[in-house]
Amino acid sequence: MPSNSPYDWNESIQQRNEYIEDRLKDGSPVVALTYDGGLLLLSARQTQRKIYEIYDKLMFSAIGNQSDVEQIRVAAIDVAHAEGFQRSPDDVSVQRLVSFRLSPAIKKIYSDPFAQPVVLKGIFAEMGKTPDRDRLMLLSYDGEFSTTPDHAVVAGTAYAEDRMREHLKSETEAGTPTLEAGLRAALYAWGVGMKHLESEDRADADYSTDGEGPKDVTAFIKEHLGKGWIVEAGVLERDTTRESRFRLLSDSELTQTTSRYL
Amino acid sequence: MLRFDTPGAGGFADLFAEKPINYDRLPMPTPYPNVPGTRVVDTHGTTVIAVKYKDGLINVADRRATAGYAVMYDQAEKVLALDEFTLISISGSFAKSVEVVRYLRHAFKYFERSQLQPMSQDGKLMELQRVIANNVPAALQGIGAFIPVLSTYDRETNQGRIYFYDVLGGQFETAEYGAAGSGSAPIKGAFEYILKTKGPFREMDRETALRETLTLLDIAADLDTATGGSAKFLPAAKYITADGIRDFSEAEIKAALGR
Repeated sequence: MPSNSPYDWNESIQQRNEYIEDRLKDGSPVVALTYDGGLLLLSARQTQRKIYEIYDKLMFSAIGNQSDVEQIRVAAIDVAHAEGFQRSPDDVSVQRLVSFRLSPAIKKIYSDPFAQPVVLKGIFAEMGKTPDRDRLMLLSYDGEFSTTPDHAVVAGTAYAEDRMREHLKSETEAGTPTLEAGLRAALYAWGVGMKHLESEDRADADYSTDGEGPKDVTAFIKEHLGKGWIVEAGVLERDTTRESRFRLLSDSELTQTTSRYL
Repeated sequence: MLRFDTPGAGGFADLFAEKPINYDRLPMPTPYPNVPGTRVVDTHGTTVIAVKYKDGLINVADRRATAGYAVMYDQAEKVLALDEFTLISISGSFAKSVEVVRYLRHAFKYFERSQLQPMSQDGKLMELQRVIANNVPAALQGIGAFIPVLSTYDRETNQGRIYFYDVLGGQFETAEYGAAGSGSAPIKGAFEYILKTKGPFREMDRETALRETLTLLDIAADLDTATGGSAKFLPAAKYITADGIRDFSEAEIKAALGR
């Protein structure tokens, strides 16, 4: 073992964190929130798809190394389907999946100094029978997880996440938004997070909220969409006659949201 | 634990390869009271019908589940959705059928979710054939045989397709109609009579096609003890179009039955 003393252990964890955080910091943020007809996940991407269906009422998105995201995604799908088939779809819950299956496995890899750590910060969104039973779970590269109601975000830095949450909180204070309002708030929050990530790269980053004015963020989102970034949004619908509750929103459903930035 | 080493290939059954499910240990309902001297008979008889109509496909089925001469249940659901555009109508062992449907639904969804593309039409048909073929030993023992009729709407060519099967998993595509169950043999001639006198089902509108199929089901109920009539509970009736699967409403079914 390389960790001969508490100091060595500390050092190795520190280096691991730096390595992982460095790879996470460029990730395009993801926003999850409850809207009046279900749950919404939104992000923007350049090429690779980011929002995935895991099970009947469960979806997932993450930032991180694509290969790691893919491994966790497939592992989650395996666990959910095996359980759903052998017991019942109602017994597949995000709480069981994340806290008993995924988290211990990730933690084990993270704690092994010889293993390549899982570079990932993900959101699992589970739709309940009623809005108050919706559950959003964050899962991190060290196996740490947490549950949040109403909305959740992942971004490359804690500061960017804070700023995004702040905006989402003020947007959802008035009550559960409609899909249209939810999309608008989510995309705006994405812009806030992404903008901070990019400015934090600079040496003169000032960690103020100055650049968060509607004009700045709007210009920032406009610039990215102009450069070919694609807004991707997936929903789980509570009341639908369709066989699948999950679907990715089509371009035409997103136009109303994205046209503000044309 | 998580299979971090194997890349997923989309095979749902592979999930259980290392730890197979022990079916013997699953609690199954006893289909008939275990009185000494009573032969345990699997629930069997039924009539399920699938026809093409102008905009897609219609599936109807009676709702009776039997074991030998006993009526077990009068509200069985024998027309089940496998995915958004595929219905399977089941005849034979009810327990086995329900389990197979559960398996196929999971297998199709598992493939689509893990591989990020839906399983092809042919892939789905092959999966069903394999399941039926794997069930041959049970069928030969006289327990757990099941024979489905599969209806699927092909969105590539915008037309419905109907397949029926033999007990070994052989698959046959039919141009007009498919039927299975103990009540299907007695009404075979009636299908042909309708085709000759009223024209093909695939040219009928939805109301007409529903009326004809429910009439056929009614005749089957008259001629076959194991097929339930519509007096106590309405038959099951669903249709598939380019928009997916829908249930016929109670009012539509009653109207088609002339009530």
